[in-house]
Amino acid sequence: MDSGAWPTLRVALHVAFFLCAFFILRQVLATVRDGDGAKGQKARRRGSPPLPSLPVIGLTLLFAAVLGYQASWQLAGVFRPEFVAFMQSHDRREFNPAHLIERGRILDRTGEVLAYSQEHQGQVFRLYPYGPAFAHAVGYTDPRFGVTGAEAAANTRLNGGAPDNLAAWSGLGLHLLAKDKRLRGQDLVLNLDARLQLTALQGLGSRRGAVVVLRPRDGAILALASAPSFDPNRIGPELFQGANASTPLLNRATQGFYPPGSTFKVVVAAMAIEGGFTGTLNCPADGYTTSRRYPKIRDHEFYTGRGWRGHGDLDLPTAFSESSNVFFAQLGVRLGHDALAAAAARFGFDRQVRLYPGADRAGTMSTGRIPRLAKSDLYGLAQASIGQGRVLATPAHMALIAAAVANGGLAMRPRLLADEPPAPLSGYMAPATSTRLTRMMRKVVSSGTGKGIEVPELAIAGKTGTAENPRGPAHSWFIGFAPAQDPDLAVAVLVEHGGYGSSAAAPIARDLLVQARELGIIQ
Amino acid sequence: MTAATVPQDLGRAWALRRSERSLLAWCLLCMTLGFTLVLGSVHSGGRVIGIADLLPLFTYALCLICLHLVLVAIRFRGDPILVAAGAFLAGFGLLAQYRLGAFDGPDAQALYLFPAGVLIMVTAVAAFMGGRYRVLAAGPWVWGGLSLAMVAVLLITGQRFRGGVYALGFTTPTEVLKLSVVVFIAGFVGRHVQTLAQWDRRLHLPLPPWRPLWPLAAFWAALAGLLMAQRDLGMIVILSVALLAMLVAGTRRPGYLVFGLLAAGGLGYLMTAVFEHGRRRIEAWQDPFADPTGDGWQILQGLSGMYSGGLWGEGFGQGSPGYTPIARSDFVYSVVGEEVGFVGGVLVVLFFLILFARGMRIARHSHDQIGMLLATGLTAVLATQTFLNVGGVTKFVPLTGITLPFISHGGASLLTAFATLGLLLAISDTGTASPRKASRPASSARAGPRGQAKVLNQTPAEPQTKPRRKRTSKRAPGSGDDGAAG
Repeated sequence: MDSGAWPTLRVALHVAFFLCAFFILRQVLATVRDGDGAKGQKARRRGSPPLPSLPVIGLTLLFAAVLGYQASWQLAGVFRPEFVAFMQSHDRREFNPAHLIERGRILDRTGEVLAYSQEHQGQVFRLYPYGPAFAHAVGYTDPRFGVTGAEAAANTRLNGGAPDNLAAWSGLGLHLLAKDKRLRGQDLVLNLDARLQLTALQGLGSRRGAVVVLRPRDGAILALASAPSFDPNRIGPELFQGANASTPLLNRATQGFYPPGSTFKVVVAAMAIEGGFTGTLNCPADGYTTSRRYPKIRDHEFYTGRGWRGHGDLDLPTAFSESSNVFFAQLGVRLGHDALAAAAARFGFDRQVRLYPGADRAGTMSTGRIPRLAKSDLYGLAQASIGQGRVLATPAHMALIAAAVANGGLAMRPRLLADEPPAPLSGYMAPATSTRLTRMMRKVVSSGTGKGIEVPELAIAGKTGTAENPRGPAHSWFIGFAPAQDPDLAVAVLVEHGGYGSSAAAPIARDLLVQARELGIIQ
Repeated sequence: MTAATVPQDLGRAWALRRSERSLLAWCLLCMTLGFTLVLGSVHSGGRVIGIADLLPLFTYALCLICLHLVLVAIRFRGDPILVAAGAFLAGFGLLAQYRLGAFDGPDAQALYLFPAGVLIMVTAVAAFMGGRYRVLAAGPWVWGGLSLAMVAVLLITGQRFRGGVYALGFTTPTEVLKLSVVVFIAGFVGRHVQTLAQWDRRLHLPLPPWRPLWPLAAFWAALAGLLMAQRDLGMIVILSVALLAMLVAGTRRPGYLVFGLLAAGGLGYLMTAVFEHGRRRIEAWQDPFADPTGDGWQILQGLSGMYSGGLWGEGFGQGSPGYTPIARSDFVYSVVGEEVGFVGGVLVVLFFLILFARGMRIARHSHDQIGMLLATGLTAVLATQTFLNVGGVTKFVPLTGITLPFISHGGASLLTAFATLGLLLAISDTGTASPRKASRPASSARAGPRGQAKVLNQTPAEPQTKPRRKRTSKRAPGSGDDGAAG
């Protein structure tokens, strides 16, 4: 046999086989109609096809249901992302169309390609041009190690299972009917801005930390950076094995818990304003404590005993812009345990907020933790009020809090996918409170602890934080937004063991906001 | 009533089976195309085709020709469509097995199973046609006792493998239960049909009569217990469905179905609660992705193969069914889906449906209670087996480790399927003696081997042509009277 003719002959034989089988079916039905099927009833039955009996109808329906279910796998399997993933990783049949699905690209808001698929010798590979930069936000898909992040959240659509236009529908139809092997998935557009993300990572440099940039108005996430990261182009078992001290798989922005330090004073100040606190508190130089047994909480450890007389009587705005620990420790104790618990509930602590629709753990952000303190634990309350002790927060949550202040007290649900409509998450504070807080946060940058990053035309409002921790130098925090009057962007920066908030984290935030203004994201 | 009593010349018999002849010829052509497809892909793969490669097709052709000639020679007047449906499915099975290499090298003798099955089928037809099948119902407890004894012996002597119990050489003699138990129930229900139909109203509920039912219940408890010890849950389901179908068909009491389903639900719950084996299968069925490389591997590989096949498939010989575990026996349906696609699966299911519809028609038009019960039971066995296999492979129901009749590889299973078909065909041969006048012998009548219909008892003896529907419509649910219905 000429092997060149075989492919054609094969198809012809295949078709002939089906035609023959269906012809037999037709013949069988004709025989039944003629009443030739069973002797004896011949005369009676001729001409009128016998009606099927009830059990036959039941059996037919039952098997029709089985076939329908079979079709949902055999023909429409592409709508089952887990199934496609299984086939891509575990099916060795080279002709399985799942291997040749050209996954859709993942793009940033300006159309920059963050992930794409490329065929090489009959196999499709997933490539990430920016390497580690977007690994946590975009995720990865690997035959052996599964799929995470946005890759997982939009798996069906990326595999071509959610066509949104006529061309995509016809492509899917061809794939289902004729097994057209060039099934191309739909692209996915994220709210991320690659330029801001790269600037954030550049600012962090070799330090560990996280940067989150949000649009307060609609919750769009423009940057979600976590360092160190990993290269999604090279996923291997060594990434998941052993205890790597730098934990590159941990998304520090959404899952990293840190003491928030002075940035938590935003929450305490909102509490105080809503609780009707006015007036002043005396802040002596040698500090404040709730009991003799505990060390005193002080401002400016360095100056003590060198003739510094302390802040004296402070009001809330001044204490906020000077970030007075003595003031806020007293304020927290005065407001009480119940107020802290109420604030924890109001600001959505101890929750999971999803960043994609239907997200798994990799696609959610954790909010901070405020444990319930014992009634007698006043010192714990004092420490919590300055963002130390048992209070923890994630960078994403602090960004959300800053965005809520910028958006009249309303926190919008953070969104990574561009086509998800904006949705409110929760009202963190009253609009009037947010107005007063904005003024106080602006004062921090114009004349307080953050004056090192003042850029007059940007009018940044913010709060620095220097969070002491038992593992080394203090963590450096900055949360804020700009412009103060009509905020376009909110930002949270954390640098692990970066020292003072004003020296490590704040400049990164300033660089991001300056660049955003150059890019036209901030008007 | 019997064929033997009415002499018939060969020429008339030849003309009578004309439609069967043409259908079988088409089946042969269809399978020839299929075999050519496989041989062509083997050849294009670089292998030289020898005479041994053509042997399965020759065997198939020879079997069909012999089958037809014998049926003509014995003046068989039964259902030609059933013969054709069986021939198509068996040919499809032979093709699939050949494609899977079932007859290669040391396994070559497996090919003899096919002619052996056809021989058994023809023998069954010849032995039991013309009403002679009623002999089978003569001593129901013989069959019942044999069934129990066989399972018990197997349990003691058999070896365990893959969660089941097998006899020497990995044969599964329990397959015979599909015949022996059905014959037992047909005999038992046929004998006690009147008392079994007398339901009482107790505790404001219509309840089945306990007195005639308890021997059956005891037998069932023993059988199910023994099978459960062998972990053959699939067989329990198949036989239970057959039992219920025969009880309902015999007594016209749908209530048996209700109680049967309740009992099945309770037992099923108990089974999954007690047996880890069953629970793991349920879990693998509900979420195969929880352990895709372990418990879910087999079902997912089968589904992957079917997905690769798509709508039309790659063609026989083009797939890679070797990647699916146990492809030859339990998962042969996924190979069909892989090689001839969804359309191929639909074809197979359609031919099975034709087979079941003909089986039920044979039951409906049978001239006596025993034939009706036997045909109902045998069809129920085949239908349940097919449903459990196809449903299991497509993840519609949990896997039960059951073969697909006629298509799966497996000696005892294939032979039993052929024997079942032979028995059904024998029942379909209703004879020429004016069937419209023939009455159904009363259940208690010992129908003789010659099958003379004696009206001993007036009770269920009714005109044959429009019997049951009328009776059921007359009966208010739960009304206790029965004997007066005739």
